[in-house]
Amino acid sequence: MFEYTSLITLIALAAILAYSFYAVLLAGQLSLAQLGLASLAVFTSSLVVPDDPLFGFIPPLVVGIVFGMLVGMIAAFILGLPLMRLRGVFLAIATLAFAEMVRIFLINQSWTNGAQGLSYPKLVGPGIAWSALVIVAFGFWRLSGSRLGRAFDAIREDELAATSMGINVARHRMLSFVIAGAISGLYGVLLGYFTRFADPNEFSFTAAVDGLVTAVVGGVVFFIGPVLGGLFLTVLPELQRTFGVEASWIRPLISGVLLLVVILFIPGGLAGLIPRRKSASKLITDPTLMPSLPGLPKRGTPLVSLRGLSKSYGGVTAVRVVDLDLGAGEVLGLIGPNGAGKTTLVNMVTGLTFQSAGTGEVLGNALTGRTKAHALAQAGVARTFQQIKLFGRLSALENVLVGSYRISRGTLLRRLIFLPSARRDERQTVAMASAQLARVGLADKAATPAGDLSYGDQRRLEIARALAAHPTLLVLDEPAAGMNRVEAGRLAALIRSLGTDGIGILVIEHNVRMMLETCDRIIVLNFGEVIASGAPADIARDPAVLEAYLGSDATASDEAVTRLAVQDLTATARLAETSRPRPEEKQ
Amino acid sequence: MQQLMDGIFLGSIYALFAVGYTLVFGVLDRLNLAHAAVFSAGALVGIEVVTRSGLSIWLAVPIVMVVGALLGLIIERVAFRPLNGRHDAHFAGLISSIALGAIIIALLQARYGPDTTRFPPEVFPKKRFEFLGATVSLLQVLILIISVGLVVLLTWLVAKSKLGRGMRTIAENPHAASVLGINVNRVTSVTFAISSALGAAAGVLFTLNVNTAQLGIGHAVELKGLAVIIVGGLGSLPGALVGGVVLGLAEVYAVNYVGSSWRDMVAFGLLFLILVVRPQGLFGARKKREV
Repeated sequence: MFEYTSLITLIALAAILAYSFYAVLLAGQLSLAQLGLASLAVFTSSLVVPDDPLFGFIPPLVVGIVFGMLVGMIAAFILGLPLMRLRGVFLAIATLAFAEMVRIFLINQSWTNGAQGLSYPKLVGPGIAWSALVIVAFGFWRLSGSRLGRAFDAIREDELAATSMGINVARHRMLSFVIAGAISGLYGVLLGYFTRFADPNEFSFTAAVDGLVTAVVGGVVFFIGPVLGGLFLTVLPELQRTFGVEASWIRPLISGVLLLVVILFIPGGLAGLIPRRKSASKLITDPTLMPSLPGLPKRGTPLVSLRGLSKSYGGVTAVRVVDLDLGAGEVLGLIGPNGAGKTTLVNMVTGLTFQSAGTGEVLGNALTGRTKAHALAQAGVARTFQQIKLFGRLSALENVLVGSYRISRGTLLRRLIFLPSARRDERQTVAMASAQLARVGLADKAATPAGDLSYGDQRRLEIARALAAHPTLLVLDEPAAGMNRVEAGRLAALIRSLGTDGIGILVIEHNVRMMLETCDRIIVLNFGEVIASGAPADIARDPAVLEAYLGSDATASDEAVTRLAVQDLTATARLAETSRPRPEEKQ
Repeated sequence: MQQLMDGIFLGSIYALFAVGYTLVFGVLDRLNLAHAAVFSAGALVGIEVVTRSGLSIWLAVPIVMVVGALLGLIIERVAFRPLNGRHDAHFAGLISSIALGAIIIALLQARYGPDTTRFPPEVFPKKRFEFLGATVSLLQVLILIISVGLVVLLTWLVAKSKLGRGMRTIAENPHAASVLGINVNRVTSVTFAISSALGAAAGVLFTLNVNTAQLGIGHAVELKGLAVIIVGGLGSLPGALVGGVVLGLAEVYAVNYVGSSWRDMVAFGLLFLILVVRPQGLFGARKKREV
């Protein structure tokens, strides 16, 4: 009987350890510091935990748990300060080095009794361990689907895209790291007061690998994963013992083979086998549920003003002394041959790149070396990317929901106590996202993973995601690439209607015909310099533009072709002038 | 002087182990955590070959390298290739190689048992010389020569040979490499085979040097190997050699000045510091992300 209660407790402890890995994996990070944090927590708690209830009513174990979690969080925070800029395997190895340093440090201290270890009173049984596990699991259950949970999803899938949605990636990564620290501290204290013993060498690399394996085998896509992983990996050796598998090498062999099978053939981990309802696949089309949005600036309000902006990489000047102004409700086109510096310019406007010279102001924020892309996004800049950056594994609707990060409020804390206002907020966010999906014509594909959409659909989904932020300034980098004529035509109509709504739009595009039909004003870049700027009709007649597009030889050697091209451009321009109502006239 | 020599010899063994790690990482961008199991296998198989058949160590090492290469092929085929194209290939590769490493260790335990074994004492001439006031053994000199030789050979191979060009192309972009007519699977397999052959040879030399081997020796070197490749720069072969020597020297001096119980603190402290200050390592190149 004793053996079973101990087994049951060990399952809970393994699952709690796995949650400390789950917390970082959720945000796409791999940390191996958890065991170091856990051992710091359990050894320092031995210094403060009283024998009798504190103030006569707080049980010693509660003191230990709270203290241990605090130690874990604080240590994780301090460790995170220098390490959070590392990624992938570098972060894993740096955190592993930290855990090993803690282990060696503790072994060499007298207050920890060195490698002999410390004894603890037995305060933890299956009841307490499982209660702790349920609380942790509950937290992660409520996290998924909250605004914070979606931010973690976004960071895991694509950090750059998450930044451009206004998510402070550094802060969120640190947050997930500190959460992992708290759970590690909890694990350490529970383990010490369950096994009645702690030895620094128990908190080794092997133990960290076990925790990671438990988390990955359980699956990191669904909050129940760590529990399943803990169950699987704790019960497996016991089952073998029950079935009389005794040879000491057979057990690790079977465990190894099963682990290999799970990781190779069940990609989502054990939790991936559980059929579940997709939380975010249904649209909400009820217009009364739309959130009340702040109004956009008055038409013509200056949004972007660049003065003498330049960017050089080493000896190459990508953008040279560019002046640019964009007002609310204006559609400004940026055209130019490949390599003209268009994307570099746009990256400076959205805070991803810092200019080498010149000044710029975007939505009242001066562009400086300290301008953060997520801060500009919070101020109202939304963008799409030349190389599509969607969250490939999330559904189309979930992608757009991340876009609403800027205009929604955090819901996790309210979700934890099931406040109805959290649900209302979430339904409003879904309604907002649904409206954007419908606007770009993807309403029927809401549940499709973004990565499975066609190229043109992905372009439109990126626009919907940007629109869900209710932007003041929208930057589109080659939105029509890969679209056919009909699709491009629809896109042009959409862009014009967004301008009519009052959004300032900066659009890069190679489809000159579409640009002439769509934009209020066009700036032409070549070799980083502005070679022309003005109304579409003037641009189409500008000899410098024609030369940039057709080459200087074209005029001399093949006049007929040039004339044809000019005719084509000017004809389109005339068409644009006559067929398109100017926004000013409409007002 | 003695310490300097000892540090360099210790470091050259670390380097030999780490070269295998870094070769796979440089090409595939993945850590092969079964490498430590290959190291253990090399040591134990080497001992068996020498004690059972009485072959000289000079023949045993090539045999062990062949065994290592075969293990490498198995690791690539079982733990890494099935993950191609999976979005979580990075994490999954870590776990699947851990699992396969555990399987290899379990099989070694089945064959050799958990006990400590060693090479027969007469297997290697115990010749020693005086050199600049320090005593060095023939074995240590040999280890150094083999390590440096292999690193030079591999660096040449990667830089100049057709195989090396294939490796570098795949490292840059596996998809583009296959479009260019490079047999990605074959080059990857060969890379794993070379890497594991070196890991197994390192196991033999390490065991000769410390004169004892058991299942867990690979594990002890595993973390050191990680430190070495980070210090030297992930994916850089000369970096692995320099990193190994730096770590070896640091450890030898640490034992002398702060005591053996703090020895590993030096390795991990160095690792931590390098990652904070210069994550690309001494010889690595930093990769830039594109917009």
